[in-house]
Order: sequence, then structure tokens, then C-alpha cells
Amino acid sequence: MPEAAARLAPMAQSASEEPRIAIRNLDFYYGATKALKSVSIDFLDRQTTAMIGPSGCGKSTLLRVLNRMYDLYPGQRAEGEVMLDGENIIAPGMDINRLRRRVGMVFQKPTPFPKSIYENVAFGVRLHERLSRSAMDERVESSLVRAALWGEVKDKLNNSALALSGGQQQRLCIARTIAVKPQVILLDEPTSALDPISTLKIEQLIEELKRDFTIIIVTHNMQQAGRCADRVAFFYLGEVVEVADATQMFTAPRERRTQEYITGRFG
Amino acid sequence: MSVTFEAAAPKRSSLERRRVIISAIGWGLCGFAFLLVAVPLLDLVLTIVIKGASAFSITLFTTSSNGVKGGLLAAIVGTAVLSLGSLVFAVPIGVGAGLYLSEYGQNRLGSVIRFLSDTLTGMPSVVLGYFSYITMVIGFGWQFSALAGSITLAIMIVPYLARITELSLQRVPVAMREAAFALGAQERTVAFRVVLSAGLPGVITGVLLGLAISVGETAPLIYTAGWSNYVWNGKFIHQPIGYLTYVIWTFIDQPYKSAHALAFAAALLVMLVVLAINIGVRIVLRPKV
Repeated sequence: MPEAAARLAPMAQSASEEPRIAIRNLDFYYGATKALKSVSIDFLDRQTTAMIGPSGCGKSTLLRVLNRMYDLYPGQRAEGEVMLDGENIIAPGMDINRLRRRVGMVFQKPTPFPKSIYENVAFGVRLHERLSRSAMDERVESSLVRAALWGEVKDKLNNSALALSGGQQQRLCIARTIAVKPQVILLDEPTSALDPISTLKIEQLIEELKRDFTIIIVTHNMQQAGRCADRVAFFYLGEVVEVADATQMFTAPRERRTQEYITGRFG
Repeated sequence: MSVTFEAAAPKRSSLERRRVIISAIGWGLCGFAFLLVAVPLLDLVLTIVIKGASAFSITLFTTSSNGVKGGLLAAIVGTAVLSLGSLVFAVPIGVGAGLYLSEYGQNRLGSVIRFLSDTLTGMPSVVLGYFSYITMVIGFGWQFSALAGSITLAIMIVPYLARITELSLQRVPVAMREAAFALGAQERTVAFRVVLSAGLPGVITGVLLGLAISVGETAPLIYTAGWSNYVWNGKFIHQPIGYLTYVIWTFIDQPYKSAHALAFAAALLVMLVVLAINIGVRIVLRPKV
């Protein structure tokens, strides 16, 4: 895609890194309030991109554009271009249920359904595929294995998911998300409701998952961004201030506002 | 300072005295109000239990009444048919309305439905009975019948069911809906398989309370179900049907001791069924895990 490559130039992207998602001039409105202002950013395939910034800067808003979660709420609208594999996902006529299968999401608080552990993982798969019993068993097992939860739950798959601990519930939600085989996984502050050990497990999991998925994580925790992310995007007042490799972002940010934020001078 | 405090301690100031007296009056009023409610209730329950229990026997459940003596079989069967029959109509409509109001009712139509539903809740049940008498018993020519009685009871409990369903579904966190949508679920899947299933204990509570209301109602049935001394024969129209509350309402006016005993037995039965349903509600609502 030569045209896209040309437009990528100002962001100093190396040509070998293929963007999975390319956003150009994205505006987002909550009613009359403009929450994202002409945002342009790329999310690279099989990499983890962290979005950081003070509350209300638009990072969660951007996340909810990528799976069109905002569609649930009248009065919220997006304008611009959000290309996923060459398709503008915010254009009218997009099949939203198919999009959400390709772009999975894990929320801030664990959101298990009041069903069994098995049924939680199978729920999403059943929406999109008809699998035989054995194929479904396999899918549930492999998803739980990849979410690093299998060992803890393999003997109680029929127990209620609500009986799991918070950290286990969050890994179950990750298993549920990867079970439908998405390309992109969105994580909205996935560890902010968890204890440090559960947080560590989720972070290790993210490291594993980026081999197969494009991962975009919103976090308030700068250390977490430093630990998990290959690239970091700093948002401020609805704009992307800076996008850089994690190391560069935390050692030598180009923008003064970035530096002030990551050194804790505001936010 | 401490010296003046200790000196003042033994003697109560007038302010303190006032406070103690007002407090005592307050407690006295509370106790009086409690007795005002509790004593008649206790008297009522004890009377029904004592007089009802003494009328209990095997024949109460195996034979029917001729209007003076006998058993309550026809009335028990009739109450079961009418109450369960009312659920057949009320559950789909009431739960469906509650689901609509909870998931899509944040608009004008939603407020109109809520207003109408509240109005229906406040409607005297005897008015509903008369309405059904004119439309179904006379208008449709069904005569006194199980169908007319069931539908009338259903109209009564639909607004309760709708409101309880709406309230319990609204307690399902938004995040759970979003999580289902995020997996690519369609609206109907989210509504029926996630929200309704998460709010099921509340919905079941509503159904049970609706059942309790219909077991205990009299007025809507007087004009619609009629009365029959015989056990229900399976016909839904052109066939009057007996029910327990009718026994309570009319047999107590009969000049026969045996009829009075039947009325108390019926009252005790209704009370026990409603009590059982309320215990069922508590079991459903008991937090799991």
C-alpha cells in the first residue's frame, strides 16, 4: 500500500512494520463534545501498543471506536478513517458483529456471564461457528490454556464462573475473547481492578498473546506500559501527542508534554 | 474545666431531662404503633390457624362441598387451574414488557407504557372483574369460565411482573451487556441469553409473587369464574369453576357450622400457599456462591 506508506512517513515508521489498523483524521463526538480531534495513529501487527494519558484524554474512547462499541449509544459518532485490513470500519454498512469477532475486547472489571466456566468460553464461539461437541471441547480447552487458566479450572469447568477470583475471572474473559479467534485484542485497563500477583499474570499473558494478536492496551499505569508495550502512544485532551517505541518514550520523549506527564508533573 | 464538668455531672440539666422525656415518649409511640399492627395480625393468624386446622381432615382434600359441608377438592383444583392459567398469559406478556422497558424503554413509548402499567396496578380489582364480565363473559359469550378468570387474573399481575422484571434486569451491569456485544452478539442474543439469564432470579421472584397475588384474589373472579361445587372438568369456557377465596368469602355467611369450618380451612390453605411461595422467593433470591 504505497499511498498509506507515504502518509505514514511523518510518523517515522520503518517500512517492514505492517500496520494492522491505520487511523487517519479520526474525530469523535459525545453529542456536541468533541472527544477525539483528528487522531492519526497506526497499530502494528503482532505488537503491543499501550495508550497512556490523563483521565478524559480520549484513550478509552479510541478503544471503543475500534470495535464500534460506541454504536450502542445514540449521540456518539465517529468521523474519519479507521482502516482494518484495508476496510474502513466506521463506514456505514460495516457488519458490526463480524467486526467484533475480529476485534475482541477485555474490560476494566472482569465481566463473566453468570454461567459455567465452560459456557463462558463457548458463548462467543457459538455466536459465529457451529462446532461439534468435541471440537468445542477442544476450543474451550485451548483457549483456557492460552489464557493461562486451564490448570486452575480444568476439574471444575461446569462450576459457575462467578466463583472464580477476580484475577481468574479476568483471565477467563481473555480466554472468552481469544476463543472466537480475533485478530486484534483491545484491553481497557485490564488490571486496574486486580491485585499485584494477578496483574503480573495478566501482563505475562499479554506478552504471550502478542505472538498471535495485535494488542492495544489502555493503562493508567506507566510501569505497566513500560513492561508490556512495544510502542506507546501518549494522548492529551483528545489528541495524540506522541507515538514512539516504549524505550524511547520513557527515556527520551520528543515532546515536552509527554515528558511532563511521564515524570508525574501533571495527570 | 474538668472540675466544673464533674460538678455538673450528678445533676441532670433541664435540657437533658427534656431529651430523656422526649425519647421515652418516642419509644412509647413506636411500641403502641407496633402493637396496633401486630395484635390484630396475630389475632387474625391465630384465629385462622386454630379454626382452620381443626377443620383439616383427609376428606377436605378428597371430596367437594355441596355448599354446606364436605371438602374443598373442587376449590383447590380450581384455584390451581386459575392461578397457573393466569401465569400462562401473564408471564410471556409481563416478562416481555419488562425486558422491553429495561433494554429499550428509555424513550417516549417506554414512559407511556410505564404510566399505563402503573395505572393498571392501581385499578381496583373489582373494576377489572367487571370489565372482564362485560367483554369476555358476556361479549365473547364465554360465560363464567376458567379462561375468563385466568385472563382477568393475568391482567392484574402483568404490571407487577413487568415492573419487577424491569427492575431486576436493570440491575444487570452495563459491562455485562457490553462484554456480550464485544464478542459479536446480536441484540436478541444479549437480551435473552445474557441479560434475562443474569436477571433470572428477579424474574422468578416476580412470577412467584404474581402467583401469590392470583391465589389470594377474590374480586376479579366473582364476575368471571363463577362458582361450581364440582371438580373442574377440563373445559375452559362455558363452565364455571370453584376457587378457595370464594369459599372464604361466601361460606362464612352461611348459617351452618360446617360451612364456617370450610371457610376457615380455605383461609388457612390460602395463607399456607402464600407463605410457601414467599419462602420460595427467599430461596430464589438467596445469594449463591
